[in-house]
Amino acid sequence: MGKILRRTFLIGSAAVGGGVAIGYWQVTKPYPNPLKSRLKDGETALTPYVIVAKDGVTIVAPRSEMGQGVRTTLAALVAEELDVDLNAIKVINGPASKAYYNSMLMEEAAGQAATDVSAGAERMRNATKVIAKIMGSQATGGSTAIPDAFERMRSAGAAARIVLTKAAAKSLGVSASELTTENGMVIAADGTSIAYTELAGEAANIKPPSNPPLREKSKWRYLGKSLDRLDMVEKCTGTAEYAIDVRLPDMAYATVRVNCHLGAGVKSYDASKAKARADVKKVVPVKNGLAVVSTNTWNAFQAVQDLEIEWEPAPYPVNDADIVASHRAAFDDKPDSQKRKDGDVEAVLAEGDIIETEYLVPYLAHATMEPMNAVAHLRDGKLDLWVGTQSPTRCLDVAKDLTGLDEDDIDIHTMYLGGGFGRRGEIDFVAQAIEVAKAMEGTPIKLVWSREEDMCHDMYRPLTLARFRGAIRDGKPAAFDMHVAASAAAIDAFERQGMNLNMADPTITQNAWDNPYKIDNYRVTGYRAKKALPVGFWRSVGASQNAFFQECATDELANAANADPLQFRLDMLDHEPSRKVLEAVAEMSGWGGALPEGRARGIAYYLSFGVPVAEVIEIVDTGAGLKVDKAFVAADVGLALDPRNIEAQLQSGVIYGLTAAIQGAITIEDGVVKQKNFNEYDAMRMYQAPSIDVRILENGPHITGVGEPGLPPAAPALANAIFALSGKRIRELPLNNSIAFI
Amino acid sequence: MRASLIKIAAVGAFLISSPNAQEAEAPDEASGLAAWAKIYEIFSDERCASCHVADGRPMWSGEHYGGTYKHPMYVGGSPELLLGHPGLMCTTCHMAENAQKLHGPPGAEVWHLPPAEMAWWGKSSTEICEQVKDPTRNGGRTLAELQSHVAEDPLVAWGWAPGPGRKPAPYSAKETADFLVAWSASGAPCPPAD
Amino acid sequence: MQLTINGKNHEVDVDPETPLLWVLRDEVGLTGTKFGCGIAMCGACTVHVNGQPRRSCSLPVKLVDGDITTIEGIGTPDAMNAVQEAWVENQVAQCGFCQSGQIMTAAALLSMNPEPSDDDIDRAMSGNICRCGTYPRIRAAVHAAAAKMRGA
Repeated sequence: MGKILRRTFLIGSAAVGGGVAIGYWQVTKPYPNPLKSRLKDGETALTPYVIVAKDGVTIVAPRSEMGQGVRTTLAALVAEELDVDLNAIKVINGPASKAYYNSMLMEEAAGQAATDVSAGAERMRNATKVIAKIMGSQATGGSTAIPDAFERMRSAGAAARIVLTKAAAKSLGVSASELTTENGMVIAADGTSIAYTELAGEAANIKPPSNPPLREKSKWRYLGKSLDRLDMVEKCTGTAEYAIDVRLPDMAYATVRVNCHLGAGVKSYDASKAKARADVKKVVPVKNGLAVVSTNTWNAFQAVQDLEIEWEPAPYPVNDADIVASHRAAFDDKPDSQKRKDGDVEAVLAEGDIIETEYLVPYLAHATMEPMNAVAHLRDGKLDLWVGTQSPTRCLDVAKDLTGLDEDDIDIHTMYLGGGFGRRGEIDFVAQAIEVAKAMEGTPIKLVWSREEDMCHDMYRPLTLARFRGAIRDGKPAAFDMHVAASAAAIDAFERQGMNLNMADPTITQNAWDNPYKIDNYRVTGYRAKKALPVGFWRSVGASQNAFFQECATDELANAANADPLQFRLDMLDHEPSRKVLEAVAEMSGWGGALPEGRARGIAYYLSFGVPVAEVIEIVDTGAGLKVDKAFVAADVGLALDPRNIEAQLQSGVIYGLTAAIQGAITIEDGVVKQKNFNEYDAMRMYQAPSIDVRILENGPHITGVGEPGLPPAAPALANAIFALSGKRIRELPLNNSIAFI
Repeated sequence: MRASLIKIAAVGAFLISSPNAQEAEAPDEASGLAAWAKIYEIFSDERCASCHVADGRPMWSGEHYGGTYKHPMYVGGSPELLLGHPGLMCTTCHMAENAQKLHGPPGAEVWHLPPAEMAWWGKSSTEICEQVKDPTRNGGRTLAELQSHVAEDPLVAWGWAPGPGRKPAPYSAKETADFLVAWSASGAPCPPAD
Repeated sequence: MQLTINGKNHEVDVDPETPLLWVLRDEVGLTGTKFGCGIAMCGACTVHVNGQPRRSCSLPVKLVDGDITTIEGIGTPDAMNAVQEAWVENQVAQCGFCQSGQIMTAAALLSMNPEPSDDDIDRAMSGNICRCGTYPRIRAAVHAAAAKMRGA
């Protein structure tokens, strides 16, 4: 992270524009190709995304594969232009490098309304790419991988194809314009063909063009079609390698115990009992805790319990009631942001006859299936790190900081991620593995957290309170006033990266302020609650709770207006892609049609990460509890590159969202997270999961990512269905505190 | 399957020749009711009652579980399959011994549910009392066989050795059998319904 | 201690209380079986012992009383089991971390019940968590695998 960036951010939200000028020289200058220093004999890196060698073509897909299918789609973007068979090439994650910076990372923070596609707004969006480039963060998250890569990786493929064509022209002694390419070969007019793999040497000396022309959509062979995922066979045969699966000769196994008073340290400890165990090789202090190194993971898990540790107390209120009270108090402070202020909300509300409600959602853990872990090997002035990370460059930074090594002496091996959901953008566990590897120099260290450690040491989805006031006049919505109080997830997350963002936290009212509903008097205000548990990016971030507030409140208004919840929403929308997802989901679900006794539907709509999504949830009262029986999802992705994968992502978002809505809660007792494993923080299971019908629309102006936007509407659609079934309006999550589910 | 389980439980059942029983004189309703009160205290304890459920879905109950819930997952549900379902047998998770890890699965030889007619979760003292005397609702046992079931069945015994973190059932298997003997000897009286 | 894993004998020297999971992963080097929770709540560690599904994270190796089969033992990328094939055809996996356990459970179900209903599948699979929410495709893949196996 350069000085320029730090200064840029300190200027505040005005910095986006300023960044263009400050960073101009850096923007025009490409990052060096990180593959060049790592090539083996006979390999040529045509671009940072394409390696050609005698034995084959390799595509670098530099975003983390955490389930969203990104490796396949990114490889397809390159393959489409490069003219190679996707199944005949190798795809790797590649090294950690700023060259693979995520250009979309700051767009959400820049504050352009999703529906604003004016020239000014687009200019601002492009300006955020400048900041992102200077940051050089190779991060996966925020549903950004596809919009970031759409032109960039096709260009990389096209540039590589041009280089290979020129190389072939040279070796055949013909003009490049006479040559075509197909299936990994350059073909001459007379039918002579040369495999790309034969051209590696010649191509090494040819400079790739910077703005190669890209193919028309109508010519696409891979894009727009459902592809078999490249990681599928591995993942169905137990052969896909996650960091937790890495095995090295003479490897030792470590685990940690870190203070459950999150952020507090160790007062004192006695390791004698642990050290007396025959299997224990070392006890190593790490940040706010201790690691034990042993002969296998199980022994390490046992040994770490033998440490006697006196902990520092929690630096935050030690129970839920006090934390909620501290959040409620935030409403009395000055707002952190007020990004929407249409008309005069106060004037309408002052007339009386208003709806006034309060909503509350709890902290949530990410609970990835693969607990946090990393493998580190420090020897001979070199560090290798195998890690499932959403941020390889951050791992690189922490590795440099902790070891003092140069970037060239550090290799970050990004493995498959057994779930990310935002958790693996953090580097706490990575730093621990490096600390232990330093203390055990020469020995490869696999450091694995127990599930209990994982669940109690998260950076949680913030506990959030919302106060809503609204008014109906003449059967129409006249005022919509949403106040949201949460601790600052983005500020907190960036602070952990050593960055001090002097700005309003964009997550507190994320996608709430730019909701396209047209109501004359509309206000969205964010309040920053005092930090309690560490908070961070949890799948769909602020949208996950803000959709619940907005869409339940909207339902309450519709009810007050005696209006159909679907029509009530349509009447407020002139954004065509949004109208169309609502109309689609209504048609799919048979909205308005009669249902048998004991069944009901609920609807919700939310536009997050640039994707308008409408969902209908149909529930049934089984007598033994509610069952979420059916879900219907319509989403507008702008342009669908892989429909079957998009369907999977939207279904995934619904189930992740329903799990949280029905039963997800992280609570605090005596300063410690109470839920320690899946017995207390369960996930939706198959028999509880609905059937999920998905329809993908392509009316929006931008290509978008869909890892997140399927999630936000799930909770309010379910809460609204419960209201429709029972007349019971539940304003606190999880819902199973108020009503039984199967 | 249910029938064979009952058979397993019945095999080796024999009358316990208890000194208390032999020495007992005329049926004494008061002492019988006192014995039953203790038996009820044990049978209705979360360790015992949690598995004596009607819908095939055992309960998670007591402080260790932080409240009273249905066992998660879609276990049981069919009273005919007391060993679980193909693909998810009780013994898929519940081993022959308790897990030593806190909140790990409790275990004993062939973990399974009692038949549905033996369900008494949530029932009153009177209801349970009448039920355990009724062979059609107690697994086809005589009172003597009931005593040996309590004294010797490994799953029943688990109630007093339930693994880390779980509160054992009150008294012991031996004491419970003794209470049953005393109760039987007093004519097995049941308290009047409320 | 002698163990038979995927038809091969292995001699392991561990504390007999060590869960089978860690013997497989750290001692024998079969990492296809995953660690998710350590308390038999998530199913990621499912293996077969004598053909029956067991949560290896909660099975002390001293209690293993038969032949062990892991995900590596039921098929390989070049020669997949019918269940694995059905999983690939239905493009089930997302992050994939739970799928070894899901597949082992499904294989056990189908060995006992070749034509399971939705309800049978829901019951059998309810011990396996998938945080990515691949359940709709898992259900389709179990039916597809059942059809495949009946056809074979």
